[in-house]
Order: sequence, then structure tokens, then C-alpha cells
Amino acid sequence: MHPDVVAEIEDVWKKYCKTLRRSMMYGLSDIARNALGLSSHSEKLRKKEFWALEGISAEVKKGEVLGIIGPNGAGKTTLLKLLNGIFWPDKGRIKVRGRTGALIEVGAGFNPLLTGRENIYINAAILGMTKNEVKERFQSIVEFADIGDFIDAPVKHYSSGMFVRLGFAVAVHCEPTIMLVDEVLAVGDEGFQAKCFDRLGELRKNGLATVLVSHNMHTISTNAERLILLNDGEARYFENVAEGIKEYMKQFVGINDSGLERICNSGRHIEFHGVEVNKRSFEPGESFEIQMKYEAAADYSDVEIDVGIYSSNEKGFYFQATNRAYKQPIDLHKGEGELKIHIEDIRLANALAKVAISIWSKGREELLFWWRIPVEFRDVEFSTGKNFLHVRYENI
Amino acid sequence: MKVNNKTIFSYEPDNSLKRGYIRMLGEITGEIKKNHWLTYQLAKRDFLKLYKQSFIGVFWALLIPLISVGTFVLLNNSGVFNMGDIDVPYAIFAVIGIALWQLFSAGLVATSKSLVDAGSMITKVNFSKKSLVIAAYAQCLVPFFTQVVFAAILFACYRIIPDLAVLLVPLAIMPMILFTMGLGFILALLNGIARDIGNVIAVLITFLMFLTPVLYAKPDGGLLASISRYNPLYYLISAPRDLVIKGSIDAWRGFLVAAIISVVIFFAGIVTFHMTETRIAERV
Repeated sequence: MHPDVVAEIEDVWKKYCKTLRRSMMYGLSDIARNALGLSSHSEKLRKKEFWALEGISAEVKKGEVLGIIGPNGAGKTTLLKLLNGIFWPDKGRIKVRGRTGALIEVGAGFNPLLTGRENIYINAAILGMTKNEVKERFQSIVEFADIGDFIDAPVKHYSSGMFVRLGFAVAVHCEPTIMLVDEVLAVGDEGFQAKCFDRLGELRKNGLATVLVSHNMHTISTNAERLILLNDGEARYFENVAEGIKEYMKQFVGINDSGLERICNSGRHIEFHGVEVNKRSFEPGESFEIQMKYEAAADYSDVEIDVGIYSSNEKGFYFQATNRAYKQPIDLHKGEGELKIHIEDIRLANALAKVAISIWSKGREELLFWWRIPVEFRDVEFSTGKNFLHVRYENI
Repeated sequence: MKVNNKTIFSYEPDNSLKRGYIRMLGEITGEIKKNHWLTYQLAKRDFLKLYKQSFIGVFWALLIPLISVGTFVLLNNSGVFNMGDIDVPYAIFAVIGIALWQLFSAGLVATSKSLVDAGSMITKVNFSKKSLVIAAYAQCLVPFFTQVVFAAILFACYRIIPDLAVLLVPLAIMPMILFTMGLGFILALLNGIARDIGNVIAVLITFLMFLTPVLYAKPDGGLLASISRYNPLYYLISAPRDLVIKGSIDAWRGFLVAAIISVVIFFAGIVTFHMTETRIAERV
């Protein structure tokens, strides 16, 4: 291994079994074969087994941040577990230098009946620290967790935030050569998150390599220096992170009608038809218009029209509001009519999204219409982030 | 082995197998030595988990076997069962028997459950699973020692002074500990894959206890006598008990064979565990 390399993944394959009963049988026969000194021939697929990772090779160098992205089930977590030595490859080899730290599940082995102080010792031991190391770093761990008097209370009386804080505090103090991070930084309050990133950054300066798995492209683009894009167990490598992210995004909702979801377009006494949109792909500042015809057998007064724009692959809304937010009450009258929704001057970019419309009767007693359509907010060069704001520069 | 930034870990299929048994034994010893503090912490955690949220705490370890001993003393005194020829008061005989039996029964139950009980810890953190099994075994030492204390009190009550050979007892219980841990290592793996094992053990232990002369003396003839002849547990229990009660081991030949079997089982168990523990996380 080159001295700058902290982890080396050489043509690694990993298989899983689809059914529990077979998995049990295979497990027993593998143990029996090994016990008799025979190879378990893990490189061959048996019935109902499939490859979760197929021939992954990669290197992690000192001080760098390697991002791993990919859709659910692509093998991200499996790869992390292999790097951590929890799962072993069925084919190929992984070499890791020094101690591997993991922010995968914090607070592993915490016993709810024991106090925070007692749990620090146990957790630290599980994470591989020696007695002297814990003694040395104990004060620093307590300070980092910053949970005050609760350090002497049983962990079961902790809020989930405090639990995470304590778990994190121990994890970041084990001084590994490589740190595996799996989405967990999304927990805890923002101040504490910042503190964690700050600590990770400090460790990185001293040569800590980080492998970061996340669905949050913002986290990836701001932290990762190189990228592995996993898909169906196969990997693609990107030296340019932005390019990798773009490639990843492409996998979601191509702009086609098959992405259109319609749960309902009629209520008990009303029917919507002929929905039309002006466009599906937007530059920042453009407007979106949705037009629909309806036929009502009764009056619907003061309906609630809920409009949202939300990300197609991450959780969360870019925007959501009902007509009440704009103090524009709408009544739908008996007979035929036409409804038009204008979303003006949309300041979004670099995103594939869905526009969601739902219309409810007064008091949300009846769902009249539910419809979502995939749209694209085009990329803007030299800008990341989903909001592209109007910014003016003046040299005065 | 001390982990520093230069240690290189290598994960590949059949890793240990390729290195051979001699190096494997070295690896195992190194791993256990390196992780002794972890083992201690895990044992402490298990111990506290059992006794912390309870009013009389560790006294349960004394009380539960006491009740079963009490039942047998009662049965003995009322003459329902013939416990055989015993040189000391029956209570002493029974308490020592139960204490030694616990080294096997409680130890086997705890070790075989250890991997399954650790649950998500195994699938989320990489740490020595041998420590987990060893720490689980330590759980049975607590009831053992509380009963040793109880036995000592009984000796005082009956004004009996045990033979000096009692000092050899720590050595004489070693085979039992090795025997149980060897089985425990294998059963922990198997239980990790198929939960049936745990249930089988629970049933089998009760059955074995009545089949083994723990609470009665080995009969001179009949089916039980011939079973006991080939039951290593009989020798592993009677030898240390003989040392306490009589000052010498009656069936020392049998004990020697049983001790050799125990050592073989221990090594077979821990080597099998070492070779296959890397496959267990994905199946637990």
C-alpha cells in the first residue's frame, strides 16, 4: 500500500440472499465448511443469491473526502460496512490502514440504565479506544457533548438530541485514520452539526480521510472532493463532484409523462379534466401556469388550493403554500368553469422537481383534485443550491 | 498487538483459512489480549443490565438457585427421593452441586445468546465479537461466587472444616469453564443464524440437570449410572465437589478424560468462531 493511501478496495464483490430460510441454510453450511478447513467458495452465486456489489475498486487517500452517492439499494451502506470490516467481501480484497471510525450509528452499545459517564467508557471501548486513551480524552468528550448535569443521569432520561450528542462526542474522539459517515449528521440541532463538521475538518487537517454517504447533494457538493456513484452494485468514478451529481440526478424522473401522478381528479360533486401546463423546463425567473377545466354539480365555496414544489429525490419542499397565504379566496360554482394557477417568477435552479397541486373543499373535508407533475429547473453555471436569487453587483 | 496508524487490516474471503491454524491461534490470543478492557466493559454492562433496575439486585443471583436447592432439601428430608450415599449434610452437597452446575448452565445460556442480544451493535460497529462471548460467560460467575459464599456459610453453620484440597478447586473448575465456553462459541454462531438453538438449549439444560448427578449422588447401578459413566458433565462437577467434601477426587481417571475433551472442545469452538465470525454480522 502506498503510504498516502489509507484504504484500498480491490475488485470487491458482495452477495446477499433473497430469502431468509436459504440465508440460514447457507450460513450453516458456510460455518460447517470453514470449521472443517474447507473454503466456502463465496465467489459463486448459489440459488436465490444476488450480487449487491459487483467489482468495486477504489482508493481512499489521507486527508481527502470521498463521497458515495446513489439511489436506495445501490449498495452504499454495504460498501461502508465492508470498509468498516463489519461485512467481509465475498470476492476481492479490502485493505485498511489503522483504526476505522464510523459515524454510522452513534451510541452503539449504550445501556439506557447506565449514566452518560458510565456509557462513555463502554462506548469508547466498543469503538476501539484503550483505557488510557479514554482517560486522557474523557474531559474533552464531556465538553464536546455539552449536556451539562445530565452526564450523571441514566441515558434513558436523555432527549434524543442529548443521546446523539453524547454518541457523537465519543465517536469523534476515537482518532481514526479513516472516518465513515452515513447520513447521521442530519440529526441533532444545527449548532451541534456545525460543531461536528468543524471537528471533522480539524481532524482532516491532521490527515483523517473521510468517506461520506449522503442523499443530500448539498452536503456532498460542499464536502466531497471525489465521488463514487453507485447504481445497482456497480460504480462510476468522478474526479469532478459536480459532474457526478449531475449524472446522479439524471437517473431521477426524466421529464416524461410517466412521472405524472394522479390520485384523483374528481370529488363527490365535481370533476376536473383537461389539465394543461405552459412548460416543463424553466430558466430562473420564468413562470408556471396550470389551467384546468371543471364541471361541478354543487357549489364549493372557499376551497383550499395547495401548491407545492418539492424535490424529486430528497425530502423537503422548495415551496409550499395555499391560496389562503395570499388571501385569495376561491369559490367554485355549480356548472362548468376553468381554474388557472399562476406561479410567477420562479427563482429555482439546478433541480429536478415535482409540482404538486391538491385542491380541498373548505375545512379539508373532501379531496377534489390531487396531481403532481415532474418539472426541471435548469442548471445555472457558477451556481449551486436550489434557489437562484436575484443578485445585483454594484461597484460604487 | 497495538493498533497504530501503520497497522494494516486486510479483509478477504477465507482470510484465516489461508493463514493456517498455527497463525490463527496466535491471532486469537492477540485479539483476546488486546481487547481485555473491552471484555471487562462489556461484562460490566451485562452485569448492570441484569441487576440495576431491581430492588434487591444481585441477591436474585443467590435467591433463585437457593429456592431450587431448598426444594430438593425438602424432598430429601421427606424421603420422596433417594439422593444416594452422601457424606456431608445434603444442603452442602446440593449448594456446591448447583454452584458448579451454574458454571455450565448459566454460562451456556448467556454465551449462546450473546451475539443475538448484541443485535444492531454487531451490524453497525466493528469490534471483537469474541469479547462479547467471553463477557457473556462472565455473567455466570456472579451467581457462582454468591453460592460459593453461601456454601462457606453452610460449612460454618454445620461446623465442618473442608479439606485443604479445597485450594485446588479453582484449578479443578477450569475444564468446566473451557468446556462451556467452547460450546458457547459455536452455539453463539449457530444461534445467530437460527434462533432454534436458543430454544433447544433452554429445554436441554433442564433435562441435562436431572440426567447429571448434580443434586443426587451417582447411583451404583441402573440406567442413570451407565449414562453418568459417559457424561463428561458428571466428572466435571463431581471432581471439584469431591475436592471440597472429601479432599480427593474419586473418579479422577474419568475427570482427566473429561478435562482433555474440554480442552479440545474449547479450541475447536474458538477456532471455528474465529474463522466464521466474519460471516455472522450479515446473518444475525
